[in-house]
Amino acid sequence: MDCLEFRRVAGADPQRLESAAQAHADACPGCAAHLRQLRAMDERIRAALEVPVRASGWIPAGSALPVRGLDRRRWLALAASIVGGVLVGTLLWVAGPRDSLAEDLLQHLGHEPEAAVATRVPEEPAVLGAVLGRGGIRLRPGVGTVSYANSCRFRGHVVPHLVVQTDGGPVTVMVLRHERPAAPVSFGEEGYSGRILPAGPGSIAVIGAAGADIGQVAADVLAAVDWMQ
Amino acid sequence: MNAPFAGKDGEAAFARLCEELRPDLYRFAFWLARDRSVAEDVVQESLLRAWRSRDGLAGAAAAKPWLLTIVRREHARLYERKRHQTVPLHDLVGSESPELAAAGDQETLDLRRAILALDDDYREPLVLQVLTGLSTQEIAGQLGLTQAAVLSRLFRARHKLRRALGAEADGEDD
Repeated sequence: MDCLEFRRVAGADPQRLESAAQAHADACPGCAAHLRQLRAMDERIRAALEVPVRASGWIPAGSALPVRGLDRRRWLALAASIVGGVLVGTLLWVAGPRDSLAEDLLQHLGHEPEAAVATRVPEEPAVLGAVLGRGGIRLRPGVGTVSYANSCRFRGHVVPHLVVQTDGGPVTVMVLRHERPAAPVSFGEEGYSGRILPAGPGSIAVIGAAGADIGQVAADVLAAVDWMQ
Repeated sequence: MNAPFAGKDGEAAFARLCEELRPDLYRFAFWLARDRSVAEDVVQESLLRAWRSRDGLAGAAAAKPWLLTIVRREHARLYERKRHQTVPLHDLVGSESPELAAAGDQETLDLRRAILALDDDYREPLVLQVLTGLSTQEIAGQLGLTQAAVLSRLFRARHKLRRALGAEADGEDD
């Protein structure tokens, strides 16, 4: 095997050299150095490929089916608020408004009960930045503590789903670039309320439980959102 | 046929196996889809499919390539359904992206950008080899290629990355 052939072989699979290639590396200092470079490069590639993974959503044996992953913080928050979350979900479903957009919003919230929990832990800035960027918006300071951010599919579009913490409890904010109501929409009963406000090219939806000042959150968000493009 | 993942004990063993392999499955899905949400959906659906079909798995040793195949097919199915929703590359290469950000490590960030910029034909075998540890023969089986074609793509993938990062690349031009 000559040097050119060695480099073709090693360049394709530097970790598993066949015996002839290994023999060439043992005898050729230049190719041995090249092999070391390739293997070091592979280590860098492997590190780059290992993007962060959220904690597993697999339920331990006995419950049979896997669920979407939640990180430890959200599992703890979910465990702490499970009763309240179920209650909120039940009431929202029972008292759901007839407006179809509002109904879809409430249905969506029902799919992410772990999001709307009271916590002082803010969302990771990188996660929040990515969610906002994917949704085509920026958020200036002044909204308060955003404890949850996710890029959610809603009515065929990927939209930012945020939760803002207030003294009166968590308030959900969804930025709906592709939904433009002709006028503000208010909905809700049983102590839970929501508003859909025209904003930018679309709208912003704000939903909270009794005690939460959704009007203030809506005003803060409207003032803080920059629509890109 | 012996079914190593049947019964309660089998279910528990299969759940542990999936738990162990899930990071690799997610990362493989992410580098296929280049989108965290899509990758999570793909892995979720794949694990559900795998769970339903676990009786067909010969044993733990065969699990990784088997699950990677399911992820790959599920991604293809999702891609067909969601073709219009793919994320433009420039949306991913921003420094605010958690998928790409590596705190304090510009070199890793640059490398992730370079990997994302690779054509699928080069990125996928590279991910299968470097991340999941499959042999070139196993990769050929996954991708339906000859082993020679896989070797060629792997060589070119590394060559492109080295060139993208400014390293001296040798042996072959594009």
